[in-house]
Amino acid sequence: MDRTLRCTGMRDILPDEMRRFRRVEEAFRAACLGWGYDEVRTPVLEHLHLFTTAGTLSPQLLGRVYSFLDWDGWSGERVVLRPDSTIPAARLYAESLDGGRVAKLFYVQNVFRFAEGDDSREDWQCGVELIGESQPHGDIELVLLAREVLGRLGIEADVRLSHPGLVRAVLARAGLDASQQLALYDRILDGDDSALPELQGLLPEVGASLEMLLGIEGEGHAYLSNVRSAFLGSVPEMEAPLDELAVVAGALEELGCRILISAAMVRNFEYYTGPAFQLEVAGRRIGGGGRYDALISLIGDRQAPASGFALEAGVLAGLLSDEERRSRLPATVVARAADSASLASAFRLAAALRERGLAVQVAGSPPEGGARVEVSGEVFAVTGAAGKARKLDSVEAVAEALREAAGD
Amino acid sequence: MIKLALPAGDLRTPVAGVLGAAGLNVEGYGEGSRTYILSVGGREEVVARVFREKDIPIQIALGNYDLGVCGMAWVEELRARFPHHPVVPLRDLGVGRSGLYVASAADGRTLASLGRRGLRIASEYPNVAEAFALAARLPAYRVLAVWGAAEAYPPEDADLAVIAAADEAAVSGHGLSPLLCLMESSAWLIANAESLAKKDLRSVLEPLAAGAAGAATPRLRLPPPLATASASAGPAPRSADTVRMALPDGHQQRHAVAALGRAGLLPPQGYDESQCLRRPVSPLPGLEFKVIRPHDMPQLVATGEIDLAVTGRDCLTEHLSRFPSSPVEEVADLQRGQFDLAAVASEAVPASDLGGALEHWHAEGRQVIRVASEFPGIADAYARSRHLGRYRVIPIAGASEGFVPADAELLIEGTETGRTLTENKLKPIDLLFRSTTCLIAGKDRGLDGRRRGVFEQVVRAMQQAANARQAV
Repeated sequence: MDRTLRCTGMRDILPDEMRRFRRVEEAFRAACLGWGYDEVRTPVLEHLHLFTTAGTLSPQLLGRVYSFLDWDGWSGERVVLRPDSTIPAARLYAESLDGGRVAKLFYVQNVFRFAEGDDSREDWQCGVELIGESQPHGDIELVLLAREVLGRLGIEADVRLSHPGLVRAVLARAGLDASQQLALYDRILDGDDSALPELQGLLPEVGASLEMLLGIEGEGHAYLSNVRSAFLGSVPEMEAPLDELAVVAGALEELGCRILISAAMVRNFEYYTGPAFQLEVAGRRIGGGGRYDALISLIGDRQAPASGFALEAGVLAGLLSDEERRSRLPATVVARAADSASLASAFRLAAALRERGLAVQVAGSPPEGGARVEVSGEVFAVTGAAGKARKLDSVEAVAEALREAAGD
Repeated sequence: MIKLALPAGDLRTPVAGVLGAAGLNVEGYGEGSRTYILSVGGREEVVARVFREKDIPIQIALGNYDLGVCGMAWVEELRARFPHHPVVPLRDLGVGRSGLYVASAADGRTLASLGRRGLRIASEYPNVAEAFALAARLPAYRVLAVWGAAEAYPPEDADLAVIAAADEAAVSGHGLSPLLCLMESSAWLIANAESLAKKDLRSVLEPLAAGAAGAATPRLRLPPPLATASASAGPAPRSADTVRMALPDGHQQRHAVAALGRAGLLPPQGYDESQCLRRPVSPLPGLEFKVIRPHDMPQLVATGEIDLAVTGRDCLTEHLSRFPSSPVEEVADLQRGQFDLAAVASEAVPASDLGGALEHWHAEGRQVIRVASEFPGIADAYARSRHLGRYRVIPIAGASEGFVPADAELLIEGTETGRTLTENKLKPIDLLFRSTTCLIAGKDRGLDGRRRGVFEQVVRAMQQAANARQAV
């Protein structure tokens, strides 16, 4: 392996990728502002204990956080590099925004989780939290908002809908306690072939129908009715989650959104309490979210329904193609000589051009394909990408020529 | 060359016995030789080095040593934090049997009643304690990583302790009730995975393989999530009208005994040249004693659990290096137990100061300067302020002299007479500061009426005794 000075799992974002990253961020911000959400940012350091309470972060994730004693941590109280943004957002709400009001928040920030080898240990997320709004309005709004962000970026994604209550009801009916439920559910998610027969053995009354629930991915409303008829007789606890899903899936389908239903999908089982969704492009997860009505009361004193989602900004940026670069190429103003007067007139021209909305540099060599302007007293010589110089005598004319050069 | 890491301390005699029975005679090991690098009788290809037990899995994981012997509890302590470490347990040596217990004060508490907020867990095994708390999903717990005497912390200074003990009866013997046994431990032969894969270790493995194969590798058994209990079981109330004073065990004890004796504060029994009870009775009404490790005192003073403590300036400086705004201060220099905290290098380094030594190491092509110390906070602050460039602090539990030159360039180390340094071919190249036994207290004492009187009386008596000593 090549030697690098970078820490393992940490990445630089280079200019090309940064431009794509900003496009993702701008599309996300514009969509969120359009739906009435407000931007916030939470600190990188949080108390570890925010994340260790049951129902917040899963034990698997907790085993991958970056935690340490701060300079004033003599009490043994650890801090952590934020491994997730929803819990800090819930803290922010409980501490600063509570009062029974609905809070519609969004943020673009990074999270830190240990990953093996070269896998990224710092990920950027475009996140949305809708706190104080109960389902189904919130759930529908979030799916539509996420789709709008993707639409602005020209990305087509599959929407997969799920509800942890379905599997939870089945596993509870099978007589498993909380930790056994988690273990079996993890095996199902990991594609362990022996998990389903084992569950079928525990639940002979629904037997083969489990294959339909856990093995098949269904299409919206129709599939939900099939599940209902197969299960409600023996697992009545599935009724409420099925009803919740049906309302959300029905509304989204009516709005022209194709919905796939997948009972076994949600990884963070302890955390979600209601409909959850996931967005995928060519089988790759690009974001997801869901309802977590129990979280706010675990952190603050008050109960508040809440749901949210996050898009993986880095993954989305990777799906975009390079474009717009040429129009952002700066023009370069070249001074006739290195004396104060010549440099001052070069910088004066650059300032005047920037006021007219152009990107103009004086220091640095001209980028490939970028225009050049040579200043000699009151005469300006503009050289475009084609390499032909034109002599011009006003700032306005130079600006016009540069706009033309950028447009071709 | 096969490098073997062997434990100092209580395991020395039984491990020497097992090795001897297998025909591996490590010269001077069983007898407690002061040198740290030892040869193995009749086997030129093997060299042994003595470490504190706790450091052995780390040295094996780093690949500095091929084979080692230590209790499996210390391997699990490493694994709890670094699950992918390359340490392979090979064989149970059948000695040093103990269990790792979660224990609370003997007040009828059960595991199920623990799930309240803010539990404090004291342990020499902080990673195991952390893994236990996470698995049990304790809300808002705090782990107090201590150097020793964790069994003395509940109930006043912690709610739980994670401790090693021979059995449940031994836990009860400390006045605690065992809630859960996290694992059974014994001394094992362990190996570095890469050494095992690539190096011929036969001359140590073969003689030891003759014994019994041993049972399954002991592993941590963590509990399932505990139900969140009602907030009723609050922290143990501390006695409101006494001043709590910590006294040191270990090498500081004789200095503390002498200082207390001079000040007329020596407990009538349980704390003298030969005895060390955890809670000796004080001769002064309103004053309460507790004996713990001097390293751990500044933290307890900072959090207000302890009002006064007799410790070393080295321990206070270490604490303040890690936590610069901690509200702890020295209130009296007891003028005893003096030694220098110095930067120490190998005698072979042709330089008499740090600058010359750095030049030498850089000329040798060393890219990273390794600094081993029992005082990682002081070592880190020193390395930063003296511009060591790219450096690495290796926090160790003790037996530091053996780290130079193979496993570190520099030690930050206490030297009393310089004899141990000479015996291990080391020399001081820089003096950090002079340490003595001192009395420390919180800056913001908030003591009222009677407690304030007792506090001031103790400080005055200790100061006068120290001044009288200085005047002699």
